[in-house]
Amino acid sequence: MTRVRRGYIARRRRKKNSSLVSGFKGAHSRHTRTINQQTIRALFYSYRDRGRKKRYFRRLWITRINAVTRENQIFDSYSQFIHNLYKKQSFLNRKILSQIEISNNIGLSKISYKIIKPNKVNEERLK
Amino acid sequence: MATTIPTSAFIATPHRCSTGRSSAIWVQKAQFSASSSSLGVSLSLKRPSLRLVSVRCEANGAGMPVIPAEERWMYEESEINGPDIWNKTWYPKAADHVNTEKTWYIVDASDKILGRMASTIANYIRGKNLATYTPSVDMGAYVIVINAEKVAVSGQKRSQKLYRRHSGRPGGMKIETFDQLQKRIPERIVEHAVRGMLPKGRLGRTLFTHLKVYKGSEHPHQAQKPIPLPIRDKRIQFVKK
Repeated sequence: MTRVRRGYIARRRRKKNSSLVSGFKGAHSRHTRTINQQTIRALFYSYRDRGRKKRYFRRLWITRINAVTRENQIFDSYSQFIHNLYKKQSFLNRKILSQIEISNNIGLSKISYKIIKPNKVNEERLK
Repeated sequence: MATTIPTSAFIATPHRCSTGRSSAIWVQKAQFSASSSSLGVSLSLKRPSLRLVSVRCEANGAGMPVIPAEERWMYEESEINGPDIWNKTWYPKAADHVNTEKTWYIVDASDKILGRMASTIANYIRGKNLATYTPSVDMGAYVIVINAEKVAVSGQKRSQKLYRRHSGRPGGMKIETFDQLQKRIPERIVEHAVRGMLPKGRLGRTLFTHLKVYKGSEHPHQAQKPIPLPIRDKRIQFVKK
């Protein structure tokens, strides 16, 4: 049999993966076998973490809102604040709330006052 | 985004210049240093190192130059209108956590319950009291603790709480009671408590370096002008029975 070289077939196939792992440390972005393994991991993690990203950010927003709510001391905690928000049937979500509180000094306290004030007024009337 | 809260345009978008109708009546607390005219999205005066967009008509060149219409195509969206705050959660830039611009707090540990004090300290060091809290970035403050040898514990902990350490060799466990350690190295008690409450890892270790504990009431950080740490825990003061 004549000697058959496979040519560039394997290289072309592997080159597709190497863009996915560019920037990985050491052999993980250089050696073909580890590149193969690392692309599998990278794709797996990106698939899984697209769902987790949503969780992480919601967690971050909640922590930030909690921090500011406790500082403002209008409500005792994030849970009280959200409970009152829901009672007022507001549709403000946590992402917006946390961005308001970062970009605006008193945005969240203004919202808190608008939520809490009517209740206090009612309590005084009932007395 | 529908909301039943009547908006007096206090939720400003970066694209429109909105004037907050309500004035300083909403600002009840002295600690909010917002000037009465700049309500709505504004450069926050309370946090000087935050690099955020301000509403363009309010900015007046404070970081947001006006770009003429013919040149708009050359610039990116974020350079023209400022960062998109409704679609991108804020993440701190380097200028937002420069160590030299961080607040310094001071706590007097005399007759304070150890754990409760350590918990508040850890919160401030980590930055969990701030709106700009980010878990991956050191946004917290520095905390000085003085009179560390006078810290209090309740119950029998003074003679029963054990501090253990191991030298690594077999049989190398050393045990000390709270009392003995307080006589030997009183700062270590507070440090041990706070370190246990800070995250463990690279960032946690750098956070721990922001804690400064001193025996006695002298500390070498007068130049940083530390402010008293606001403690809201009502049961932090040790009451002798």
